[in-house]
Amino acid sequence: MTLPAPDRHTAELSAAFVELRTALGRVLVGQDDAATGLTLALLAEQHAYLEGPPGCGKSELAAALAALSGARTHTLVFHRDIRETDLLGDVLLSRHRHRGFERLRRELIPGPLLHAEVALLEDLPRSPGEALGPLLRILAERHALGQALPLESAVATGPLEQVEAPIDPLEPGQLDRFAVQLRLTGLLTGELFDEAAVLLARTSARRAAPATDRSGKGATREFPEGHTALTAPVMSTAIRKAAQRTAAALRIEPRTLDAYHRLLDRLRQRSADQSASGDRLMSDRSFSSAALRLVRAHAFLRGAPAAAPRDLGAIRYMVAHRLPDEVQEDFDHILEELLGDPPNVTMAEAGAQMPGAQNQGDDDSDPGAAVSQASDSWIDDQADLPAPPALFGQPPPPAQVDPLLRALVGRIERGRIDPDTDPGGQPRGYRPLRDLDELIDADVIEALLFTEGRLPGAPRTFERKRRSAGGAVAVLRDISASMAGRLTVWSSQVVLGILRVAARRRMRVGYVEFHHRALPHHVGGRLLHRSYSRLAEQAGQAKAVGQTNYEAPLRTALEGLRGGSGRNRHVVLLTDGLPIIGDTSVRRERQLARRLGVALHTVFLGNGDCPPVLDDISAETGGLRFCGRPLTGGGLRLEER
Amino acid sequence: MSDLTPLRDLLDHHVVGHDEVKTALLLALVTREHIYVEGPPGTAKTRLAEVAAKGSELDFFFYQLHRDTRLAELVGDIVLERRKVKTEAADSASSGEAERIHQRIEPGGLLTAEIAVLDDISRAPGEALNVLLRILNERRFGAEPIPLMAAIATGNPMDDEYYNEPLDPANLDRFALQLRVSGLIQSGAEDARTLIDRFAAGSVVEQPDPEAVTDRATLDALNQRMYKVEVGPVVRAALLDILRTLVLEFECNETNSLLTDRTFLVKAIKILRGAALLAGRTAVDLPDLAALSWMTTFRVPPEAHEALPRIIGRVNRQVRAV
Repeated sequence: MTLPAPDRHTAELSAAFVELRTALGRVLVGQDDAATGLTLALLAEQHAYLEGPPGCGKSELAAALAALSGARTHTLVFHRDIRETDLLGDVLLSRHRHRGFERLRRELIPGPLLHAEVALLEDLPRSPGEALGPLLRILAERHALGQALPLESAVATGPLEQVEAPIDPLEPGQLDRFAVQLRLTGLLTGELFDEAAVLLARTSARRAAPATDRSGKGATREFPEGHTALTAPVMSTAIRKAAQRTAAALRIEPRTLDAYHRLLDRLRQRSADQSASGDRLMSDRSFSSAALRLVRAHAFLRGAPAAAPRDLGAIRYMVAHRLPDEVQEDFDHILEELLGDPPNVTMAEAGAQMPGAQNQGDDDSDPGAAVSQASDSWIDDQADLPAPPALFGQPPPPAQVDPLLRALVGRIERGRIDPDTDPGGQPRGYRPLRDLDELIDADVIEALLFTEGRLPGAPRTFERKRRSAGGAVAVLRDISASMAGRLTVWSSQVVLGILRVAARRRMRVGYVEFHHRALPHHVGGRLLHRSYSRLAEQAGQAKAVGQTNYEAPLRTALEGLRGGSGRNRHVVLLTDGLPIIGDTSVRRERQLARRLGVALHTVFLGNGDCPPVLDDISAETGGLRFCGRPLTGGGLRLEER
Repeated sequence: MSDLTPLRDLLDHHVVGHDEVKTALLLALVTREHIYVEGPPGTAKTRLAEVAAKGSELDFFFYQLHRDTRLAELVGDIVLERRKVKTEAADSASSGEAERIHQRIEPGGLLTAEIAVLDDISRAPGEALNVLLRILNERRFGAEPIPLMAAIATGNPMDDEYYNEPLDPANLDRFALQLRVSGLIQSGAEDARTLIDRFAAGSVVEQPDPEAVTDRATLDALNQRMYKVEVGPVVRAALLDILRTLVLEFECNETNSLLTDRTFLVKAIKILRGAALLAGRTAVDLPDLAALSWMTTFRVPPEAHEALPRIIGRVNRQVRAV
C-alpha cells in the first residue's frame, strides 16, 4: 500500500473537490449551502438527504453532483409500486432436474443500483415500506447479495416534511442513515428576490430549443431548464478516490476533539430546552464516525493538513432532522461562541448554561411563542398562521397548548392507524390472486409458474391498503363575556394550534364561535372546508360578549359533520363556564355524537371548577378532557383532567 | 401573424366559445407545456384537445382516469422477459437450466403519444399519479425520451362532492398552464346562443373529424422561434415585481401556494415568450404578462389569483412611468 502522496499531490486532490464545489454552486442560484453539503458528503463518502419544496432544484443538484464527480451513477425514482427487483436486480430462476424431481431456486442478479458509485434516490419517502427497509440496510452496510458495493454516496431527495402529501414522512431513525441532511428553500418563497432576478436573467438568456425529432429519440430532456447546463466531470475516478482516501485519513487536532465534545454538550443542552424535540435524534452512529468524517472532509476542502476546531462547521450540514429547528437556526452562533471560548471546561459549561437560559426568557415575552414552539417539529410550522393579536398593552404569558395538541394528534392518528383495503393504496402484505387483472401486482416468479400451470394455487399478489386520510375537526369556541381578557388570547392560541394540526393532515376544519347563540363561520357555504388561514385570521379577531350555551354550537357542529363519512371526526369544545342557556346537559347532542361516531373533546379554560357536564360529554363520546391550570408567572398549562 | 392561425380557425370552427382555453391550448403547443383545465363535465374540454391533436396531425392518446388506474394502462403493457442463462449444475447428477426474468414495459399509450388527454385526473388516487406526473415532467420514461409535446388534463371542480381525496397540490404544479372553465349555457355566455343556433340549423354533424391544417414540423419550427423571442430587463423586472407582490403583499408561501422557482422563474419565461410569439411579436412586451394569470389559477389563494390582473396593471403603470 502506498502512503498518501506528498503535499503537492494532496493540494491537487483538494483543488479537484473545490472545483466540484464551485461548479455545483453554479448549477443552482442561491443554494450555496446545499452545494457545500453535497461536496462534503461525496468527499466523506456519506449519504445525503435533500429536502425542499417542489421545483426548487433538488433533483437537479443531485444529478449535477453525480455528473460533475464523474462517478458511475444510477437513478432510482421511488413510487408506490417500486419493487425489490428495481432495487436489487433481476430475478434468476434456476431449475435443476435431479433424479426425477425438479428443484427451483430464486436468486437475484445485482442490478445497476448495486454497481453505482453515486446513487440518486429520487422521492425516497414515496417508497413503500417493503422497498425502503432493504434499501436503507444496503445503504448502511454497503453490502448486498453477498458482495461489497462500490457505493460512495447515495443522494436522496424528498418533499419538505411539512408539505402535505399522500405519503408518510420518513422517521428520524430512517433519515439517520443520511449523514448529510440539507433543507433547500425556494427563492421566491424564501424572499430571495435578488437571486430570483439572476435566475430570471439566466432563463431569458436561453435562446435555443432542445433538439427534437418526431420519434422523440433525439430529444434531449429539457434539463436543467434555464439553469446552466451540466458540465463534464471535473475530476477522474482515480482523483476522486484518492481524495476520499486522503480526507478520511486526515489527522484531527486534539483541541478539535475537545471543542467537538463541548459542542455536543451544548447541542444536547439546547435541544433539551426545547419542549417539542421528541422526534429529533442525535444518534451515536451519526455523531461519532459520520460527523468526524465530515469534519475531516471540511478540513481537506480547505487544504488544511489537520482538522482544526473551525472545521466543526461541517456539522451544520447534518442537523436538519437531528436538532430542533431553533437550535439549528442558532447553530452557527453556538459554534462561533464556543470557538471564541477559552478551552477551559468549567468556563465552557458556565457559558453553555447562559445563552440557553437567556433565550428561554426572551421567548416567554412573545405572545405567539408557545404555539410556535409547540409547532416546531411535529406540527406544520410552515402554516404560518398569524399570531393572535395582543388585546391589551401587556400580552399575557402564553398558554401551553402542547399537551392538548399532542393528545389530539394521538386521537386523530388512532383513527388513521388501521388502513382500509383500497385498490389505489400502498402494497402492504400479500393475498392470493383473485382476478387475472391482478397479475401485474403478483409475485413475478409465482405468476410465471402460474401461467405455466405449474403452481398448485394462485400466485400471491399485493394486498393494497390505504390509510383513511382526511377526516374533520370542528372547533367550538366560547366567546361569552366571561372569556374576555387573557382567556381570549389563550383560546385563540388553542384554536391556532388545532388549525395547524388539521392543516398538516389536510383535515377539513370548521369553526364555530358561541355565546348564547352559535356563530358558525362558513366558507363557500360550508361549515367544513380547508381554508385554514381564513379561520386563523377569524380566530384572532374574536370578541367576548354574551352568555354561554353549549347546545346550539354542538348542534351546529354535529349537523355539519353529519353529511361526511369516515371515522376520523372530532369536535373540540373550548369553554370557560357553565352553560346557562339551552339544554344544559346537551343530552340529545351527546346521543347524536355517539351515533355518528364523532369524538367530543372538551377543554375547560376557566378559573372555577370544571362543569361536570363536560366530563360526561367527553366520557360518553370517547373524547379528551382537558383543563387549563394557571402557572406561576401568569401562564396557563393545559392538562388532561 | 403566427403560423397557428389555421389551427385557431379550426378550433373556432369545431368548438364555440372558450376563447381562453383555445389560446392557452395553442400556447401549450408552442411552449411544450402541459395544461390543466378544470370545469364541469360537457364543456368541450376533451373535444378541444382532440381537435388540436388531429388538426396538427399529432399522435393522440386519450385516457380516462379512474380510482383504480394502474401504471400499465397509461404506459403500455408490462411484459416479463425470460432469457435462458447457463448455470453450473449443483452436482453432476442433475441437469440445470436457469432463466433470467426481467420485468419491462412495452411502450404504448402516453409513451408514444405526442398529445395526451388525461381525463378526470382528479379521480385517480393521488399516489398513483406520481409516476404519471413524473413522466410528464421529465418527458422521459427511464432513460428513454418520449415524443410527448403537451398533456392536457381535465378535472372536476375542487369540491368535496366530486372526489374523496384532494389532488396533491404538488401534482398540479406539473401543469404550467391552469385554467378554470364554465359551461357556456350555465354561465349564460353570449356564445350559448351561437352554440344552440348551430345545432338547431343542423349545420353541424356531431363530432365531425377535423382535417389536418398544420403539422409537427410547423410546431417544431414555432417552438424554435419561441426561444428567439427576446425577454428584456424591463419585462423581467416587471415579472419579478409581480412575484414580489404575491409573496409580500398577498403572503403567498410554501403552505398556501405553489410559488415554485421552477414554474415562476423558469417556465414563466417560456410562457411569456410563447404569448409574445402568438401575438406576433419578436420580444416580450408588457401586455404579454397577462398570460401569467393562466399560471396562478390553482397555485395561489383565490383572492391573490383574482387580484392578479390588478397587480399586473399596477406594475405595468409603474414600469411605464420609470
